Amino acid sequence: MVTRFQAELATASITAAFGLAVMVGATEFGIGWVKSGPEPGTFPFYMGLLVTVASIGTVVQALLSPALRGEAFLDAGQCRTVAAFVLPMIAFVVVAKLLGLYVATALYLFGSMLFQGGYRVWSSAAVAIAAPVVLYLVLERAFKVYLLKGPIESALGF
Amino acid sequence: MTRYASFACSVATATLAATIAVTLPTAAEAAWQPNKPIEFVVTSGPGGGTDNFARVVQAIIAKHKLTDQPIIVTNKGGGSGAEGYIYAKTVPGDPSKVIFGTNNAYLLPYVAKLAFTPADLTPVAALALDEFLLWVNGESEFKTAKDYLAAVKAKPETFKMGGSQSKDTDQTLTSLLEATAGVKFIYVPFQGGGAAATQLAGKHIDSNTNNPNENIGQWKAGQVKPLCVFSATRLPAGPKVSGDMGWGDIPTCKDAGVAIDRFQMPRTVWLPAKVPADAVAFYTDMLKKVSETPEWKEYVERTVQTGKFMAGAELKAFIADDDAKNKQVFEREGWLVK
Amino acid sequence: MEGFSALLHGFGVALSGYHLALMVIGVLLGILVGVLPGLGAPNGVSLLLPLTFTMDPVAAIILLTSIYWGALFGGSTTSILFNIPGEPSSVATTFDGYPLAKQGQATQALSYAFLSAGFGALVGVVLITALSGWVARFALKFSSPEYFAVYFLAFASFVGLGGASPFKTVTSIGIGFALAAVGMDSVSGSLRLTFGLDQFIAGMSFLVAVIGLFGLGELVMTIETGMKLEGIRARISPRAVFETLLQMPRYWVALVRSAAVGCWMGITPGGPTAASFMSYGLAKRFSRRRSNFGRGEPEGVVSPETADHAAGTSAMLPMLALGVPGSATAAVMLGGLMIWGLNPGPMLFIERPDFVWGLVASMYLGNVVAVLLVLTTVPFFAAILRVPFAIIGPIIVVVCFVGAYTVASREFDLWLVLAFGAVGYAFKKLDYPIAPLVLAMVIGDKAEDAFRQSLIMSKGSAAIFWSNPLVASLMALALLLLFWPLLGGIARAMSRRARGPAA
Repeated sequence: MVTRFQAELATASITAAFGLAVMVGATEFGIGWVKSGPEPGTFPFYMGLLVTVASIGTVVQALLSPALRGEAFLDAGQCRTVAAFVLPMIAFVVVAKLLGLYVATALYLFGSMLFQGGYRVWSSAAVAIAAPVVLYLVLERAFKVYLLKGPIESALGF
Repeated sequence: MTRYASFACSVATATLAATIAVTLPTAAEAAWQPNKPIEFVVTSGPGGGTDNFARVVQAIIAKHKLTDQPIIVTNKGGGSGAEGYIYAKTVPGDPSKVIFGTNNAYLLPYVAKLAFTPADLTPVAALALDEFLLWVNGESEFKTAKDYLAAVKAKPETFKMGGSQSKDTDQTLTSLLEATAGVKFIYVPFQGGGAAATQLAGKHIDSNTNNPNENIGQWKAGQVKPLCVFSATRLPAGPKVSGDMGWGDIPTCKDAGVAIDRFQMPRTVWLPAKVPADAVAFYTDMLKKVSETPEWKEYVERTVQTGKFMAGAELKAFIADDDAKNKQVFEREGWLVK
Repeated sequence: MEGFSALLHGFGVALSGYHLALMVIGVLLGILVGVLPGLGAPNGVSLLLPLTFTMDPVAAIILLTSIYWGALFGGSTTSILFNIPGEPSSVATTFDGYPLAKQGQATQALSYAFLSAGFGALVGVVLITALSGWVARFALKFSSPEYFAVYFLAFASFVGLGGASPFKTVTSIGIGFALAAVGMDSVSGSLRLTFGLDQFIAGMSFLVAVIGLFGLGELVMTIETGMKLEGIRARISPRAVFETLLQMPRYWVALVRSAAVGCWMGITPGGPTAASFMSYGLAKRFSRRRSNFGRGEPEGVVSPETADHAAGTSAMLPMLALGVPGSATAAVMLGGLMIWGLNPGPMLFIERPDFVWGLVASMYLGNVVAVLLVLTTVPFFAAILRVPFAIIGPIIVVVCFVGAYTVASREFDLWLVLAFGAVGYAFKKLDYPIAPLVLAMVIGDKAEDAFRQSLIMSKGSAAIFWSNPLVASLMALALLLLFWPLLGGIARAMSRRARGPAA
């Protein structure tokens, strides 16, 4: 189980790291105040500082409230449910990068419906094929907006 | 409206161009034909000068059926257009990507740390040169460029010059003007030429160096007026635009006592690096045909640009010259990165 | 009423079977691109732009503006049904529209949105008709300090809302402003916060961020709590649309205030997105049902929608009269105007009155057509919620990713949307407010540019923000709104003390 306390600390650490990264990145162009106003880095630098300081504030607040340590953020069951949803999503992006969005869409829809939705193979396959076709017709044919394609499409001559 | 500057062909270039026989392949010789949809990559946002340029070319190609393949226009104007050129770098040898830009293709890497160099692009053609003028508010007391610059000289860092973006055509021209006339402006960078035009009409700035097309609406209404044009010759005389003035009635800056004979921005077309020479020839030929259509002539005339088709060695010489002249300004201003 | 007789003439120009047919086509196309996140009015407009080169300018602009109206309406649909804003300006509609739909009131939520949007648009056109000359002159008074004041005003009226931890609110705002700074800085011409990565050069796309933060983030929340989309039992009947129509007069205060905010932001030009946020913020601050905001309060749908459309419509005026595009779509249309041989600017009204007033008349007609068409689509869209979650869930995921990709055809945006989804989920669960982040992203870079331009103009003197009555009153109003919750608290404390001894 993930407690709320752990989640608060983790999120605040990430935002603090983000704030620090912004501060470091901003120093490249000067963070002072010159004759003609603030330098290019000034505004991002102070925003980064603000985020860092506020994140530390959140951490302190979390440390001071013992109730958070007992409070559940995600229990084991929820963890599994979320993972079962998010991991295929990550796989979708990886596949989209390698094989293009059309193939990724078909595989993702097929997998989700078959394994998570408990649909039969033929109905899953029908949706999995119909969706990319609709996307193709609406986006590429009608609106001339071209989606990411992979080797399979180029082999088919699209 | 990303715009990048250029001082157009010097005498040397012109001579060079004249001596090199520009050999354009005819359609019969161009064996290469596109076999998939062509993507026009626009290095500005929707509605910018480069965007209009690409879309006019697209429309003309479609109307005259200059290719069988469909043409898609995509805007990749991020980072003042760098996004489009970096995209070209990721698709070397792909002749279906045609990149539309200005002289920012070779000037951007000087002023910003970018992951592309001009070597990542193959120059195809330039189709037109956009002109620059010196404008003041319509109710301004100044009648000539000389009067205005004298006033600026008397009070350094008081007069505000507006322009589009930073370290870009307008600021480069402002810097040239400062060096030539021995004056000092406060340069205020706006998002685009449209904003610079409105700010001048609203008297929030004292002058701008907009292209004709960016100020024509305000000039018609008498809200702004041109003092001189940064061109070697006067613009072609046409119908009257404002009162009894037409584009042809505006004196050149040189005649008005400002020793800058030319400052123009080319509208350029590129392919990624390592594309077959046949493909370059195909697009050169196609764009040449585009530049000869009445629709193109009409577009150039309406936007008060100078129609000038350049390709091959002539284009290379132009680029080399333009590049060197701009680099000089960048060096003087300390804009070069690294 | 200089425009009235001109307008009648305009109706004569616009009212023809051909033009009405173009309006219907344009609106339908617009609704379609508006509904698909990622695609937007600019796509529809730039797609049809080449076709219009051979049309006469009046017909061409009617077609293109109709797409714009359609897209403005369509953008709210996915905001309400799936918490995915179809257009940037419909982000604020998700705050109460989605909870309302979750309670089974999808039809009502959509009807509220469309009807108030239609009202907002109408007010915007009336403003253009009645005050075109004055508005064009007024807009010329705006320079960088005034722009900064307008953004500051929008921001001040929105922040400080809700009971979230102040640390978390500040974190959220800071992240939004930092993200807005990524990419080319137009004031200095340098690339900021790119860390040498090509992917960051174009900056962070606002739409990609909201698709992740709202769309994916919400979807994971739904999955985690084991819920299905709760619109399943939504009552879908044309009657519900009419019943909602009868409810509208109850929100007249919100309608009037939001229309005023929208027109103001459209002219100045803060833009429709900032207008909808500002209007939502004001509604929440001054409403009697304050505590119900964020939980499906109709006023929280009515306010941003009215302002969004009032701003979208009135923004056409600066575009035509000054040639300054207030949005990406306006920029494409401006390009079109030039290609058709028209020069936007003050003289357009004098040189081509038939064009301008034909356009204005078509704005009346186009919005009526749009409201009617979009209302007929309500039952259809609400029916989507009946599809079992096991199918619609993954399809929404696909739509989110495809939508994010189509924003700019960048592969990297697929990863970004995933990252923003994670942020959206974590923030939502830990009670970080997301809306301030989004607003900061929208106005961050523009506000910073305006601020720095102002200081360049004044050679570093901050006095420029008080240098004329216009900017001074804008700044004063913004400060007042910023400290309003504090002032309210003091007032309450004082009245409590006053009552104290008596009790």
